[in-house]
Amino acid sequence: MKWILLGASLLLMAASARETCPLGPIESAASRQAATYRAASAAAEAVGRRRAVNPGQTPAAANFIDTWTFAKMAKDGVARTTISSDQEFFRRISLDLTGVIPDSAAVTAFVNDKTPDKRARKIDELLASDAFVDRWTMWFGDLVQIVLRSNNSVLYYQGRNVYYNSIKDSIRANKPYDQLVREVIAGKGDSWAAGPPNYVVRQLQPNGPPQDTYDNLASHSGEKFLGMPMLCLSCHNGLGHLEQVNTYLKSKSRFEFWEMAAFFSRTTSRVIRNADPNNPNSRKYDVQDNATGSYRLNTTDGNKSPRAPVNGQDTVPPAYLFTGEKPAANESYRDAYGRMLTADRQFARAAVNYLWKEMFGVAMVEPVNAFDLNRLTGTDAQPTHPELLEELTTSFIAGGYNLRSMLKTMALSNTYQLSAIYAPGPWSEAWVPYFARRYPRRLMAEALLDSVVKATGVPVSFNVQGMGTLNKAMALPDPLEARRRPEGLFLDDFGRGNRDDVARTGDVSIAQALSVMNDTIVTTRVRQATAGSTVAKVLASTTDRGSMADQLYLATLSRSPSAAERQQAIDFLNGGTLSQRTEDLQWTLINSLEFLFN
Amino acid sequence: MAKRKDECSFCANGGGLPLRNQGFSRRNFIQLAGTGLVASFFSDVLSPRVLYGQTVAPSVALHNTAKNCIFVFLSGAPSGVDTWDLKEGSWTPADFAPTSYLNGAVRFPQGLMPKTAEQIGKLSFIRSGMAWAAVHQLAQVWTQISRSPTGATGAIAPHIGAVVSLESQLARTPADVLPAFIALNSGGIPAAGYFAAKYGPFIVQTAPTGLSTLKHPEGAARFSTRWNFLHALDTNRVTGALAKKSLDMDDLYNQSKTIMDDPSVDALFSFSDADHIRYGSSDFGDGLLVAKQLIAGRKGARFIQVTYGGWDHHSDIYDKQAAQSLYAQCGEFDPAFGALMTDLATTAGVTAGKTLLDETLVVVIGEFGRTTGALTGQGGRDHYLRFPSVMAGGGVKGGRVIGKTNEKGDAIVEYGWAPNRDIRPEDITATLYSALGIDYTTMRTDDPLNRGFEYVPGAKYGQYVPIEELF
Repeated sequence: MKWILLGASLLLMAASARETCPLGPIESAASRQAATYRAASAAAEAVGRRRAVNPGQTPAAANFIDTWTFAKMAKDGVARTTISSDQEFFRRISLDLTGVIPDSAAVTAFVNDKTPDKRARKIDELLASDAFVDRWTMWFGDLVQIVLRSNNSVLYYQGRNVYYNSIKDSIRANKPYDQLVREVIAGKGDSWAAGPPNYVVRQLQPNGPPQDTYDNLASHSGEKFLGMPMLCLSCHNGLGHLEQVNTYLKSKSRFEFWEMAAFFSRTTSRVIRNADPNNPNSRKYDVQDNATGSYRLNTTDGNKSPRAPVNGQDTVPPAYLFTGEKPAANESYRDAYGRMLTADRQFARAAVNYLWKEMFGVAMVEPVNAFDLNRLTGTDAQPTHPELLEELTTSFIAGGYNLRSMLKTMALSNTYQLSAIYAPGPWSEAWVPYFARRYPRRLMAEALLDSVVKATGVPVSFNVQGMGTLNKAMALPDPLEARRRPEGLFLDDFGRGNRDDVARTGDVSIAQALSVMNDTIVTTRVRQATAGSTVAKVLASTTDRGSMADQLYLATLSRSPSAAERQQAIDFLNGGTLSQRTEDLQWTLINSLEFLFN
Repeated sequence: MAKRKDECSFCANGGGLPLRNQGFSRRNFIQLAGTGLVASFFSDVLSPRVLYGQTVAPSVALHNTAKNCIFVFLSGAPSGVDTWDLKEGSWTPADFAPTSYLNGAVRFPQGLMPKTAEQIGKLSFIRSGMAWAAVHQLAQVWTQISRSPTGATGAIAPHIGAVVSLESQLARTPADVLPAFIALNSGGIPAAGYFAAKYGPFIVQTAPTGLSTLKHPEGAARFSTRWNFLHALDTNRVTGALAKKSLDMDDLYNQSKTIMDDPSVDALFSFSDADHIRYGSSDFGDGLLVAKQLIAGRKGARFIQVTYGGWDHHSDIYDKQAAQSLYAQCGEFDPAFGALMTDLATTAGVTAGKTLLDETLVVVIGEFGRTTGALTGQGGRDHYLRFPSVMAGGGVKGGRVIGKTNEKGDAIVEYGWAPNRDIRPEDITATLYSALGIDYTTMRTDDPLNRGFEYVPGAKYGQYVPIEELF
């Protein structure tokens, strides 16, 4: 629990921390603005800690997040809704932090807990759980695209597993996010013995010169860790291309991109063939850094337009695109890149934006990989809440890049804890980016399957090469697993993507509707005859129809039925063969929009 | 190692401006598009047919001869010199029985693919095809999204079937209950890209009993009870109190119910034992059979992909004992393809006097080719960029041969089409789009990169273009 305490104390420190601001006046203006709110938000946070939340009430600010979001709503005349009920909150925070609905007993215990700080303690409990580790390893795996097979490369199961496990161990240990990223960027050694080198292996370009791979590494790390569309610059200057896309990058040149890519120009990946005696085609890599080597401008083939000498210069030394900083003497190029990248305020800002999207459904800068550094503030600001984004960024840096601590800050805000029901009146979609209510989204593929499993009590199992049997989708090391099995097809239908050219999606589709209604993954799990099913347990526990309805609502929707729903359920159970009607009731609850969305 | 000889194919003008016209900013573009100046100003640049939902007249002549497309994707890269561009030599097995067709224009291994041989008059052969990369997944995705997966729009690009799906949206009627893009036995293919999920592939594993999720496992009566109670209890479906997307999901439930309730839809995915046998008793044959049924069924399916892997013949390509020898592969391909061509040519189309084949473009393509001449030491053929493909129907005249390779099949003698260069996967896509009446020069401006998404990306050639010589 040490990290929680540390996180909380650092969080308080963050309010008074001085920001270091690589971008100069632009952000200084933002921080001056932020300062005016700081005292107020610190006071609000203190109030929030003492006061129990009041479901059904329109809340006051609980921490600085609310200070900014509520101020913007007030300014634009958007009313915020009321605080979520305990049951709504518990289901939400369970799905967001751990990727699965809570079980019935936990819901009951939470509702019966009368202590005022029970939400905060529940957040701590979930942050400390194994399920949290699975769900956020999935998040980081999506970010760096850990996958056994992609268009460019094959890690083989040995490499994929060691990579996945190293990330999982880091998430479990609450390794600071900046350290985690430095480790993957500079990963060295046998790609089947250590996880981090697989970050490089994943980006190896098979049909081009080594510069293509350096470019991949610079554009991937730039896009994923800085949230900026660096790929554009890998082929051409910003000028004449990016005026309408990214006003900051328009002033950057392909040469400057090469200077970024040059940080990878001493990295070698020596292939080791026949590494697995059981797979003669298998190959692993020994990733190392040479003491010499440079980015040469001497290509005419591969995947990029030709690289030709510029003003007679045919090699490019490394320099960080945003500052011009060069590696220190005797510093390995990749170590230098990781150091500069993670010290960049944009690195923290992009991370906070990702975390916000995970918790709130919509990021403050969308798309998350399209940051324009010239538009962080001002009338044409890109973020929906520029000052809040900066304050969260400052807090994340001051808190030591602590993922759990940042998620906790978000979860403790009343903005996060607002109800999904919009109480003030008719809802307008234009208010979504105000965060005036919880805006539900469809459960991510793995969370949906795991929640069906939990609601029905009927387990699922996946056999993963080198990992044995896993009993939850969220613990799968990549989204290619179980691809040809019914469970895998179900997950594919719900848009788990492939961490390569098919992105994870929260879209809805006919295939999804058909799957939830008719796939035996759902229908057999609601049968009384299926061993251990919730329906069987409910039928064995009582003949009281009201109690049966209560139990099924609690197990499936993590809440009690309303009086009207309860009566509808009782009438329905009485309307036919009881065992069948009980099965039908749970099928109905699983197919309700409330179950499919969070 | 495969090397691309050309520069960046995802930027126009050889790494030049993505917007194709120097100095012309997107913002102007959108403003002008709204003023009615589009046709005059853009006539020589491009005119997106779908721009923020507006339909704009195509900027180029389109064939518009096909209503549907069956896209047969032979993943793993079949050997060209043993099939569509047969090269006879000391390596050629006698039982290939090479035979002359089309007045000697085509030599074909009649012994290897007898049923396909019967259809040769309907087929056109593209022999100057050239892949960009000889790496399987990279080239597979390249072919299906018609651009470099590594390029600027590679990560957001929809499958070409999703483009067809979106473009067919406006013409859909209430009878069109099925998604326009259906992929049979094709798990793991590219999807909707940045388009809405509904334009992505509806992926179906074929089975004699049809699509399992079209039928409720507990029977129709139980389903009816459940459906009715769901709609009585789930008031969010009426109030829309959850997110807008939840109402979209409700719409999709209703669409799904329509599909389930339509017995003719179920019949399109199911098939008889007799037909299964006629198509060669294989999963691939089942795929082509269901593809034919879906097209004939006229329920909105416009682009059907059937994927058939196993062509990666690095060894034992002629070894009849090998599980996936060329004999085994063609043994499944041949009866299925022969039956498909026969059925399409003998089934009436939508338009009076036309057959289904007249209205359906059939494309048979892999991701690249295989080495030529004698076999390797392993008795196989390795990866090779030069590769032939086949088209038929949908306005493509049968019996045409585009391009000519040398005696060994490893070099071009004649490109055989007006641009006089290699035919790239992007040209195949332009051909497919033109046949389907889709403006292949369209650039959408709704992409999340705010860059512009070209249906067919620019090239050093100026533009990838349809193979007009096929029509």
